[in-house]
Amino acid sequence: MPRWVALLIVFGGAGILAAAISLAAGLPRPAPPESSAASDQNLAIVVNVSNPTENLSMGELRKIFLGERSHWPNGRRITLVMIEPGHPERAAVLNSIYQMNEKDFSYHFLHGLFTGEVFVSPKTLATPVGVRKFIFNVPGAIGYLRPSDVDSSVKVIRIDEHFPNEKAYPLHLLPPLAK
Amino acid sequence: MNRQSKIPTAGAAGHRPGSVAGSGGFSRYSSALLLFLVFCVVIVVGIVVIHDVRSTVVEAQEMYAGSVLGLHRIGDLQYAAQETRRSTFYALSTNDSNLQVKYADQSREADHLVIAGVSEYLREAKTPGELEVGKRLHHDWSAYLSVRDEVLASILEGSTKEAVDLDLKDGVRLFDRVREDLEDIDRLYDDQASQRLAHVAASSRRTMIRVVGVLGITMVFAIVSVWAIQRSKMQSAIQLARLQTEFVASVSHELRTPLTVISSAADNIADGLVEGKEEIKNYGSAIRYQSLQMIDLVNEILLFAATKDAKNPYNLRPLRVSDLVDSVLDRTSELVKRAGFTVEVQIDPDLPCIVGDMSAVSQCLQNLLVNAVKYSGRSRWIGVRAFLSDSEVHKGKRVCIAVQDRGIGIHSSELSRVFEPFYRSAAVTAEQIHGTGLGLSLSRSLAQAMGGDLSVASEPEVGSVFVLHLQIAEEHKLPIADVASGPDATVKK
Repeated sequence: MPRWVALLIVFGGAGILAAAISLAAGLPRPAPPESSAASDQNLAIVVNVSNPTENLSMGELRKIFLGERSHWPNGRRITLVMIEPGHPERAAVLNSIYQMNEKDFSYHFLHGLFTGEVFVSPKTLATPVGVRKFIFNVPGAIGYLRPSDVDSSVKVIRIDEHFPNEKAYPLHLLPPLAK
Repeated sequence: MNRQSKIPTAGAAGHRPGSVAGSGGFSRYSSALLLFLVFCVVIVVGIVVIHDVRSTVVEAQEMYAGSVLGLHRIGDLQYAAQETRRSTFYALSTNDSNLQVKYADQSREADHLVIAGVSEYLREAKTPGELEVGKRLHHDWSAYLSVRDEVLASILEGSTKEAVDLDLKDGVRLFDRVREDLEDIDRLYDDQASQRLAHVAASSRRTMIRVVGVLGITMVFAIVSVWAIQRSKMQSAIQLARLQTEFVASVSHELRTPLTVISSAADNIADGLVEGKEEIKNYGSAIRYQSLQMIDLVNEILLFAATKDAKNPYNLRPLRVSDLVDSVLDRTSELVKRAGFTVEVQIDPDLPCIVGDMSAVSQCLQNLLVNAVKYSGRSRWIGVRAFLSDSEVHKGKRVCIAVQDRGIGIHSSELSRVFEPFYRSAAVTAEQIHGTGLGLSLSRSLAQAMGGDLSVASEPEVGSVFVLHLQIAEEHKLPIADVASGPDATVKK
């Protein structure tokens, strides 16, 4: 085989390989396997769009939901929004944040309001849409929604610096699977 | 008769068919023209009136639509503003957070309607006043909405007292300003509607005045037209009656003269006053001549009546012009000779045959020659010329036979009437030149019936040229008639 033919085959093969690699790089990559499924099973904490808060630690979030904090840093009064019993979102919040059952939850707020240890009485809405609209209308409101129920009328805040679509997000709609 | 002499004006007359005058229809044409003018005026008036009425109606419709739309818009704005406030109060009336959210939604939907309405108003605002009040409303409504949002938030938070305090402090005041702005807009609409109404009323009055004016003018014009038409008809009737009277008088006179001569001759013979063979012969000649005069006159009248009958057939044949002219000159030779006239004849060589009825063409030429004798005054000269003419009026070549005299001529004002039946000019009547007024009318009718025409050019005290225009015969189509042998005879060319 002549030398120039061998060189042609080598360079031609290299060119074809490079083109294939570049084409493969240009194609859309598939989403990470845990991304959409995981975010759908998480619970987003939402506030009014005028609220400057971007992130809360799990401890701060618990304090707010327990009614132990009355105002946001900007001076707005905190209004806690809960969804009616029976919804998995409420069950997840009771489990993850309050670590209480329904009975303990009711007792906590009745007792706390009576003794003055709790400053905020939660508002109860029938549907996720109601929750979203309430938060839209009240600047100091905070509540929770599935990520699929969230739209631009409310703002999702980070918990422990994580958004709901991230793997390390601490609030899950369903209890985490056993390791 | 000198066939070589020239007749300079005859050719010129032949090329002036424009001088051919219309016959006796002036009244009819003027009536038609007047009616046409009235029709045009009525059409124009109708268009003006329709246009005016239409523009007024359109203006009124625009005014109505503008007013209704304006009132509708302002009504919508007022309702939406009230609904915004009303829904906020509904939220105040319940502790159920779900209901409060629903009322908050209603309030926001209503305020969106107000914002959209204000934006539309600003977009369509034309006057500075509209722009100013629109901008003020926009500003006041935004201020009210910020208070409304706080009130709604307080209600949803459960702070009823705070919500009421906020509304009483700022909400009521700001909403009153919004209401005042809306009333200002309403007032502006009312003012504009009043202005438009006044404009439409003025336009309507203007239209009415115009309609009445143009109708009045049309009516006056129509009355004048009808009067003119009636007057024209009446004058025509009077003229016809006068012409008929003159005709009867003229014919009676023409008949009475030969009858008197015949009667006197007969009386003399009967009374034995005429003696000798030679004298009786002279009397007989006189009676025969006068009888022939009467026969000619009666024939002319009958021929005139016959030309008015459209069914009268003509025997159209090719005729040689020279034969025709010679024949007519032969027939009138005695008259011409007795009157002492000289006839100059010039016939162009190689002249094509004409097509016509021999007796009708002869009658035409004879009438023209007899007229030339009658109206020559002191002149004793007649010219006859035949030539080929390329006429624009007749669209093609024609053979023209011109008969010219140097007589009394015809005034230009009478040129158009000489072909009217029974017409005789005042000058001719005054000079007691006898005639029926039928000769020229008859000649023109005959010429036109054969596809030809008869025209005239004349100048008073200079003379007249009558030109007979005749169609050229198509060769080899029909045998040429022998003029000398009579109407039905033919000879080979």
